[in-house]
Amino acid sequence: MKPGLALQLENITVKYRQNVAVQQLSMSVERGEIVAILGPNGSGKSTTLSVAAGILEPAEGIVHAGGIAQKSNPRGFAKLVGFVPQEAALYEDLSAEANLHFFGKLYGLGGYDLRCRVALALDRVKLTDRGQDRVSTFSGGMKQRVNLAVALLHDPPLLLLDEPTASLDPKSRELLFADLHRLREAGHAILLTTHHLDEAETSCDRLVMLNKGSVVAQGRPAELIRHRAGGKAVLYGHLQEPLPQFFVKGLRKRLGREVEIEVTGRRLRIAAESQELLGMALATILSDGIILETFRTPPGRLETLMRHAEQERPIAEVV
Amino acid sequence: MLSSIRVVLTLAQKDLSLFFADRRGAALAFVVPILLASAFGMIFAKPPEESKAIQLPLLIVVEDRGDFTNIVAESVLKSPRVQGERVTREEAIRRIADRRPGIAVIFPCGFEQLKTNKLNQPGQRPNVEVLHHPLCANEAQWAEGILAECVLQRLASEHLTPLIGSSALTMPFEIRTRESTGPQEGFNSYSHSFSGMTLQYLLFWGMESGLLLLRDRQRSVWLRLRAAPVSLWNVLLGKAVATTLLAFLQVLVTFGFGYCVFGVTVSGSMAGFLGLAVAVSLLSAATGLMVAALGGTEMRARSVCILVILGVSLLGGLWLPSFVLPSWARDLSLALPTTWAMRGFDAATWQGRDFLTVLPSLAVVFGFTVVFLGLAFTQLLTSEARRRRGYT
Repeated sequence: MKPGLALQLENITVKYRQNVAVQQLSMSVERGEIVAILGPNGSGKSTTLSVAAGILEPAEGIVHAGGIAQKSNPRGFAKLVGFVPQEAALYEDLSAEANLHFFGKLYGLGGYDLRCRVALALDRVKLTDRGQDRVSTFSGGMKQRVNLAVALLHDPPLLLLDEPTASLDPKSRELLFADLHRLREAGHAILLTTHHLDEAETSCDRLVMLNKGSVVAQGRPAELIRHRAGGKAVLYGHLQEPLPQFFVKGLRKRLGREVEIEVTGRRLRIAAESQELLGMALATILSDGIILETFRTPPGRLETLMRHAEQERPIAEVV
Repeated sequence: MLSSIRVVLTLAQKDLSLFFADRRGAALAFVVPILLASAFGMIFAKPPEESKAIQLPLLIVVEDRGDFTNIVAESVLKSPRVQGERVTREEAIRRIADRRPGIAVIFPCGFEQLKTNKLNQPGQRPNVEVLHHPLCANEAQWAEGILAECVLQRLASEHLTPLIGSSALTMPFEIRTRESTGPQEGFNSYSHSFSGMTLQYLLFWGMESGLLLLRDRQRSVWLRLRAAPVSLWNVLLGKAVATTLLAFLQVLVTFGFGYCVFGVTVSGSMAGFLGLAVAVSLLSAATGLMVAALGGTEMRARSVCILVILGVSLLGGLWLPSFVLPSWARDLSLALPTTWAMRGFDAATWQGRDFLTVLPSLAVVFGFTVVFLGLAFTQLLTSEARRRRGYT
């Protein structure tokens, strides 16, 4: 393992029974960088992260963190990793402080050191005044912040986050990325999964694009975008209320095949072949009484890359 | 080793904190078995006035007009063991259907002939009909006994008066009925109900703990636990320790209440009682882990568990003494840990037996616990290893 690398995955293959979820995947994360794994649903993002966290055992390949192989020293490996599952992995009936104390003890912390770390962690996520409150009384954003605080308690050099922004509103998302950027500055290596291209493009140092369990592209966002081809008009929005499935289906039917609509929780993504079509789709949605808290149309270049990736067109590896 | 013990205790402490986080829920978990045990104890306790003479509600139908028949019917009605009433056959049939009461004795036409029959001679015998509600078969046997006593008493009087010169024959002996409970003579119906209901509730608590583990395994918090530097052994041991501690507390609280309010005492070996309390608490934890290991889905596990727990409670004599069960069920119950736990508790509490008498029960309950824990650990470790390799 090269010095400076916080995580290295070498030729990882993961199988769910006979189905290959990840095939011959190799990637690494350096200290002081944020790497995003991108890909459509079922591309192997969460599986890769689970392997990196030591939760899943690959059929083939080696996982190293800070020079420790997961297979030969699982406990030593686990202490170097802070894992943040997609949903808040907390005991809702316990207070934030009790959750932090519990998980801290599992990592061998205790006494005065643990008390100091818990206080610091709560301060870091701006929840000092709510530390004694049950997690069940917290908002989604607050839970996600405690979720992150738990993973940081033992000060791991490597942080793994599975879809950390999936259920967050725009403000909580910004706060989370601000936290991640601070951690990056402090020398932590961060690997996260997302299928939100906007945040990957703007907030991450490096991207790894997966499709059907294989890496189809990886590199810095700007470098990847230089290799783009074609374009698609895209709009990212944040809904005031989540939409029921039947409503989304109806909307898709009305807008036709030229417009793609994707709703994840309260996040909306519309992609269309042209700006006109995108405008029409937005007008239809707004006329249905759907309220968008925010929306923006990013350059859409990563979108194109992703489309290529999904269609398995060859994209040159940039790095 | 030390760090492993610390981790197990941390995990157990977390489960205890979660249990007591819902204070009302926790309080109810202690109150419910006490209420159940009190209710069962009250139902089976005999107030002193009732214990002297329990009367059988009975309908008498007299269709024969003979004097002998009438005298027999009257003697049945006047029996101190009967709370009788004369009615017609139609009314008896109607009232039995409604179980008001559930038994009727019918003296049909021709019963008078019994008076002139020679005793102990072959020939046609008059019939007496005993009608009963389907749920009153035991009471019917009781009625047959009273009837036999009254008829034979009257017949003896008819046949022996010429010889001994007295028209009234009484029972030639006195029956003295009393409870026999062993050397300590400390029977208290609450002792049985508190043992039974505590055991039953421990099984339910074990089930609940197993379902919690099953639920946890489906949640993201399980992923965090599996990513932590903690072995699955530690996680399972932590769960078992927490369940055992809460179950032990349950035993102490329930019996403590029984002692303070209903005079339930440990008349026999205290060491045997405490040993059993530990054994059944461990059994509760083992049951929980079995549920988590074999349950599949939560809904499936809950349904199967309720069926099993109610079944082993009934067969193990947790609700009613096992002598009311048919003999095949009594034989079957020997294969259940609840039967042995109940025997042990009965021996240590109201029967006042020593430690050696409790020891076999203790050994059997521990044996079951070890087997259950072994099965549960093997299954859970195997399934988790398969899950890690992507097989489930």
